[in-house]
Amino acid sequence: MNLFQKIIRWARIKSPWIIHFNTGACNACDIEIVASITPRFDLERFGIQLKGTPRHADVLICSGPVTRQIKDRLVRIYEQMPEPKFVIAVGTCACSGGVFHDCYNVMGGIDGAIPVDLYIPGCPARPEAIIDGVVKLLGTL
Amino acid sequence: MPNITIPIGPQHPALKEPESFIITLDGERIVDADMRLGYNHRGIEKACESRNYIQSLYLLERVCGICSHTHSTCFIQAVEELAGLEVPPRALAIRTVFAELERIHSHLLWLGVAAHEVGFDTLLMYSWRDRELVMELLASLSGNRVNYGMNKPGGVRRDLTKEQLQEIAKTASALEERTKYYIQVASAETTLIERLSGVGTVSHEDAVRLGATGPTGRASNVDQDTRRDDPYAWYHALDFKVVTDTHNDVYGRTLVRLGELMETYKMLRQLASEMPEGPIFVRAPRRIPAGEAVSRYEAPRGEDIHYVRSNGSDKPERVKVRAPTLANLQAVAKMLEDNNLADAPIVIAAIDPCFSCTDRSILIKDAAGDSSKTVSWGDLRRYSIDWYKKKGLDFSGLRI
Amino acid sequence: MANEEAIKKEISQRFGMAEESIRVARERRVFCEVGYDAFRGFLEHVCKKMGFAILCTITGQDEGETLSFMYHTARSDGTMLNIKTSVLKSDPRIKTVTDLYPVAISYERELVDLLGAAVEGLPPGKRYPLPDGWPEGQYPLRKDWKPDQLGDMAFPIKGA
Repeated sequence: MNLFQKIIRWARIKSPWIIHFNTGACNACDIEIVASITPRFDLERFGIQLKGTPRHADVLICSGPVTRQIKDRLVRIYEQMPEPKFVIAVGTCACSGGVFHDCYNVMGGIDGAIPVDLYIPGCPARPEAIIDGVVKLLGTL
Repeated sequence: MPNITIPIGPQHPALKEPESFIITLDGERIVDADMRLGYNHRGIEKACESRNYIQSLYLLERVCGICSHTHSTCFIQAVEELAGLEVPPRALAIRTVFAELERIHSHLLWLGVAAHEVGFDTLLMYSWRDRELVMELLASLSGNRVNYGMNKPGGVRRDLTKEQLQEIAKTASALEERTKYYIQVASAETTLIERLSGVGTVSHEDAVRLGATGPTGRASNVDQDTRRDDPYAWYHALDFKVVTDTHNDVYGRTLVRLGELMETYKMLRQLASEMPEGPIFVRAPRRIPAGEAVSRYEAPRGEDIHYVRSNGSDKPERVKVRAPTLANLQAVAKMLEDNNLADAPIVIAAIDPCFSCTDRSILIKDAAGDSSKTVSWGDLRRYSIDWYKKKGLDFSGLRI
Repeated sequence: MANEEAIKKEISQRFGMAEESIRVARERRVFCEVGYDAFRGFLEHVCKKMGFAILCTITGQDEGETLSFMYHTARSDGTMLNIKTSVLKSDPRIKTVTDLYPVAISYERELVDLLGAAVEGLPPGKRYPLPDGWPEGQYPLRKDWKPDQLGDMAFPIKGA
């Protein structure tokens, strides 16, 4: 790739901004995601910031089995993110539906609605696992 | 000026579960709040009917990640009542230990989230750092930071050694020192007091009428606590005060939760020194005899209630769960009235609905006409700063 | 269990119910059943005169021919009085109790959505808890309802 592309790639790896969205989860994974930003685990040392709007974000961190009501909102949020974008599915429910996989209002994993780049299983996924997953994603960029 | 309707949610600050509040504004004052819930509806009650009691137990543990032990214990209490089991005292005491540890982690979580909502991120970082002490302890006692999986029909699955009990007492004392610091901040820090006082007010009569439970109700002097009124597990042997407050607002809720933390530390030390000896479970039958039972539990957020009906087979006939936030949401609509839009996140967060997400751009439709424009969060924030400047307050320095 | 026996006595005397039909399951738990025509008067009495001013929740159940509703009321001393009433499934109309218990509005909306009860007198508002596109006439909590009745709205099960 040429120099311009190399610079852009360097800038993206150095500090991806994330947006977090809960698609109907029990909140355990969401708490662990927020805990990974707090002093003990400190995801921010990788240059990662939790942003409020999808329009500022590079990475969408999603938890929860997708419920019927939230599916359209999830797709809308994914579409609002600018390219290139990545999706991380945190937690067993986001990967495949988890314990809720056969409930009538639950669609299953997030990859049924939007394409997923990284799966982090766990119920809930520990902050260490989340950090490990995010670093692996950065490594593939 | 025409009334403007603004949706808050499902992706928004202060909302744990995605919920949608449609707020009608007159200028910056909220005149009406309409709720649209159900984003988190997973169909758990129906799912329980096709799973046996043990599968339902682990499914119900995941109703909520912050009060997982709450739902698991509340359910298993009802099942044990149906089966006529006499749960051994040590199991009840261990359940109580976990219940109180969960209360600590939930209240510290709330403290951080509420601080974040008013722009006090330092307190968020401090309280979540302290919360890690409890999470470490829970992980070492049960194997997981959340969803402990401690319960089984008839008792608990893991025992606590003497060293672990000493560790619990030590952690409780360490956290007590930190909580005293937070109480000092809450009572002396003027910006915090100003931001939280007079916001989200619910009078005592309204709180009683609207059925507010837990710290939300107790901050309006509703003297109800299921641990004292309808004791379960080991609470009948514990010595604790029910903390109430008369401020009626978010500040009162903060004080109530901090006071409850102090009571919890005392309870944990008492449990660690007075843990009864004996077995940790009794054998439970696979098929539960037919009957119905109602179990109540004081979750960190309020009263949790489970109704279980059995039909003699190994699968429940009907399981009904009413989590405390649903009872408090009626009070939220009342609380949002006459408050400013900027206070909406902290008011919603004050009932402790759960964890927070962040914002997105908003479509404002002019109710009278057909014109609509998209306003970003930054514009809204600037608008609110200007509005407050006219009242003589300057919030431009607060980082939200 | 003097408290619970006193409740049992008062209800059976005032409403002419046989004392055996009122069950004291354990301390602080009393279960009873009332026919729907007498239900409103019964509820008003326990709410205003016996102190059961807290409505914890309403459990709706599908019992085959009828839909039953159990109103879980509680008192400040921790005692619960659980009142069950039933209506025919073919005509599941019940009146709202929000004038006595304002918090009942969410619980009644749940009955409407999940069981297909018709609650008269509910103020207008959004449905709860089912999503917006849910088809008419499908009530998940009824015993005969299976998720495949949703037709092409049924989700594929991932990983199955």
